[in-house]
Parts: sequence; structure tokens; C-alpha cells
Amino acid sequence: MHLYLPVALTSINVLIPVGLGLAVGLLSGLFGVGGGFLMTPLLIMFGIPATVAAATDSNQIVAASTSGTYAHWRVGNVDFKMGLYLLAGGFIGGLVGVQGIKVLNAMGNADFVIKMTYVLMLGIVGTYMFIESLASMKKNKAAETKPAKESGFSKLLKSLPMQTHFEKSGVTHSALLPIIFGGFVGILAAVMGVGGGFLMVPVMVYILRMPMHVVVGTSLFQILFNCIEVTFLQAYTNHSVDFILAVLLLIGSTFGAQVGAVFGRKLKGDQLKIILAVIVLVVTVKIVFELTLSPSLLLSQGGGH
Amino acid sequence: MKFKTRIFNFRLLILISLAFLMAGGTASATLTAKANHDHITIDFFYHGSSVSVRGVSDPGTDLIVKITSPEGHQTLRQKGKVAGLLWMNVGKLTFEHVPSLYFLHSTRNLTDILSNDELSKYVLGYSALEAHTEVSPVSGDAEKNKWFDEFVKMKESSKVYSTSSGKITTTTKDGLQEYYVLMDWPYQAAPGEYTVTVYAVKDNRVVEQAESKVSVEQVGIVKAFARMAKESASTYGIISILAALGAGFGVGLVFRKGGGAH
Repeated sequence: MHLYLPVALTSINVLIPVGLGLAVGLLSGLFGVGGGFLMTPLLIMFGIPATVAAATDSNQIVAASTSGTYAHWRVGNVDFKMGLYLLAGGFIGGLVGVQGIKVLNAMGNADFVIKMTYVLMLGIVGTYMFIESLASMKKNKAAETKPAKESGFSKLLKSLPMQTHFEKSGVTHSALLPIIFGGFVGILAAVMGVGGGFLMVPVMVYILRMPMHVVVGTSLFQILFNCIEVTFLQAYTNHSVDFILAVLLLIGSTFGAQVGAVFGRKLKGDQLKIILAVIVLVVTVKIVFELTLSPSLLLSQGGGH
Repeated sequence: MKFKTRIFNFRLLILISLAFLMAGGTASATLTAKANHDHITIDFFYHGSSVSVRGVSDPGTDLIVKITSPEGHQTLRQKGKVAGLLWMNVGKLTFEHVPSLYFLHSTRNLTDILSNDELSKYVLGYSALEAHTEVSPVSGDAEKNKWFDEFVKMKESSKVYSTSSGKITTTTKDGLQEYYVLMDWPYQAAPGEYTVTVYAVKDNRVVEQAESKVSVEQVGIVKAFARMAKESASTYGIISILAALGAGFGVGLVFRKGGGAH
């Protein structure tokens, strides 16, 4: 069955957005990412204009992350305190990032810088997570974990002011740490035009040393707020949110997020990390291919990256 | 004075008679055009439509059926190679005086039935459209030609540009030629008013023209949403967010009740 989308001005087979929503929602519930890095290009591939695809995806993520946060919160896997600090940082970072895009546009090579940053970030994060989780899976098999040696970096973190305990995550950090790194992810996410879940998850795992299951719930919590803000701004300034498309997507994604959350509890943290790493690497390879193979069309409508 | 007035009146009479004669002349050549589906409504289940154009013409004339939207300008992102290796957006190109939809069907190949002057006069065919279009920034005609070809390729891929020859069927009846052409109307064509122009062609010249309209309009829910997204953007944004929050919570609750809790 086909439905007409009033803002995208195109017609789509309803099974496509519902199916895409289900798949991406599943990833969202499992790994705590919004999945924009998968959803937006897929929607464009199915004929949705780039600006509408990005804006509508953020509306859909509001639903998927509400569903996912709720599922994780029920089993006590959302660190609200940490989430709020990250959000504060992310908000400031977003403002800085938007200014950054203006500077890049003025310099005239915005697209090149954005694409390169995106590919490098995906590649580095994916590779690091893959190697690290593989190593820790082997270590777990071989022997009991020995207490981690304190590195210079973690000593430096301990010496920062405003140390506070995050109960849910079971870690003690300076409050500045999530604000600074939240801000850093916020800048990159704004520049790349993505939600940044694939960056926020590694930051929480490797820098904030949070347990993977709490990472997923907390990440979804802060993604929820980011996407509410983005949806409103897109609807208000660009008129690019397609409500019908969003509803079709969220039918699948809210359901997928629940299934993902249930399924995620059955997997170990390292298993989750390594699967996410593989997905991020596959997306990296796909983008590298897109950049190097001759495109079939050399012209496109404005918007999107 | 009187004599001059008489001469003037006489001349006027001749002119009027001539005009009548000429009008009579056009009346005998009876090109007509009618689009069967001239009001297309876009509702919730719209997935494109079809439009047929039919009419009569003098026997022995070739026919060209053109459907276009009003002309406008379009700014598109332009892909190019960076560092000799990577394809990415390298700039923007503006196309002036281009329609967003351009369908052209003719009984025979355009270049076989019309001179280049006539083709460009009536903007018939991609070559004539290219000459009519301004592309900027481009360094010269070769580059303009390259990017106009890319423009047509993009438009054809979204089904809003199309040309054919031989698709129009003609039959002779009562000394007149009846023609008929059926075309798919793509769902990608935006709401608006489209002009159908039929040209009768003889001896390398356009001898007659007739016009009709096709209007495409959103109705019902589609119209309500499209209007709200533009005119009450903040309410629309808030409703979209609330609906998403509600759906997320709703599904969460269903899962809990369904025994999904662990």
C-alpha cells in the first residue's frame, strides 16, 4: 500500500518506512544510538528529499528513544544525573558547532571538511571499539579481570575539581568531564549534521568508564532531548518535518526499541560493543565507497550532506 | 473631408471583411486539445495518475503535445571530484527559466518535422530548452551543455521530464485527423497548474496551436498537513513531538503489560 507524504511531496510504500523503523529502532534499543547515520541516507535512497529525511528522522528518534529510555529505565539502566550533565555540554557544543558550520561555509570547503571529519570519526571510533572489545572478550575468557592500572590520563581526571559520584553508573568524576565531552560530541554532531550517538556511546564507555548497559539507557535519554530540540527547530525554521512519514517510521521504531532493549539484556557489554563497532565500520566502508565511486547523478536538490 | 472619411470607411470595411475571412480560415483548421484528467487531486493514497490528451487536427499534420509547469529558477548541488579521487558536493548551480515538469510527445522526430528556428521559437525539445535556459556559473557552452544534460538526467530519473516520438496515435475520421496520447502522471510532480500545448505542424512550420490545462491540487488530510507545516510551524512541531513522545510511552506501556518486563 502506498501513502502520499504531504511535506516530502512524494509517495512511498508503507512497508518501507515501517521496516526501516523496525530495524533502526532495534539498533537504538540495543546500542543507545539514534541511528540517524543509517536512517537518513536510506530515506534519501527511497526518494525522500534530504532535508525532509534528516528532519523527519529526528522526529522519529524522539519516539524510538522515548520507548527505549522507558524500557531501560524500568530495569534501572538510566543514569539521569550523568545524562543531564552530558546534555548541558551537548547543548553548548551544538551552539558552537552551528557557528563552526558558518565559518566552514564562508571558507568554501565545508562539504570536504564535514565528509572527512565524518569518515575519520566513524573509522577511528569503530576500529578502536572493535579492537578494545575483542581484547577484553579474550581477557575475560582467559582469566579473571585484574584491577586496571591507573594511567596518567585517569590520574589527571581524578585531579579535576567538582568531583561527584554517579550512583547509577558507579563512577566518580569531576562534573566538568561529562560537560566537556558532551560539548565535544555536540560540536562534532552539529558540524556533521548527525545526532552523535555513535560518538557519545564510546565517550561514556571509555572516558567516563560507565558500564555498557547503563551507557545504552543514558545515551537514549540524552538523545531524546537532543532530538526534541532538533525536531522543533527543523519544523519551525525549515518546515521539513513530514508528520505522516514520522508516524510510519515510529510505528516500527518504538516497537524495535523495546525488542532491542529486551534483547540487549541477554548480551554481555563486550558483545554489544563489538557488534556496534562492526556496524559503525560497515557504515564507514559504505561512505568511503560512495566517495570514491562515480555517482550516477551529478546534481542533487539542496540540503543534507 | 467627407470624401476622405468615405475612403477611410471603405478601407475599414475591407479590413473587417479580411479579418472575417482570416477568422473563417482558422475556423476551418480545427485544432482542438482536451486533457481528459485536467484536475488531479492528491489525497492520502495518491500514487500518481495518468493524463491523456486528445483532439482533432487537419489531416496530414504532425502533432506535438507539450506539458510544462511555469518556468522558474532552480538551485542544485553540484558533485565533482576533489583531490582527483573523492566525489562530493563542490558547489551550486543555478538554472534559470526552467520548468519543473517538461513532457514532450510528438508524432515523429522533432528534427524531421520542424526547423531549428521553429523548435527554439516554441521551446520544443531538450536542445531548444537548453538554449532557452541560463546556467550559472559555467565557463562556456561546453560546460553549460554538460550540466544541462546532467540536469535532464536528474529530472528524468524523478520522472518529471520525458520526451517521446511516435507515442501519439492518429486516426482519420470524417476528413479530420483525431489524435490521442496517454502518459503517466508522476507522483513526483508538485501541486500546481500545468499547461498543455498542442502544436499542429506542416511543411516545417507550426501552423496552429491549441491549449488546455492540468491542475494538480492537494486535498483532505494531505492538504491540511502541508498547510499546517507551513503556516503554523510551531504548533505543527509541537504536535509532532508530542505524538512521538506519546507513541514511545504508549508502546513502552504495552510491552510492560504484555509481560515484557524482566
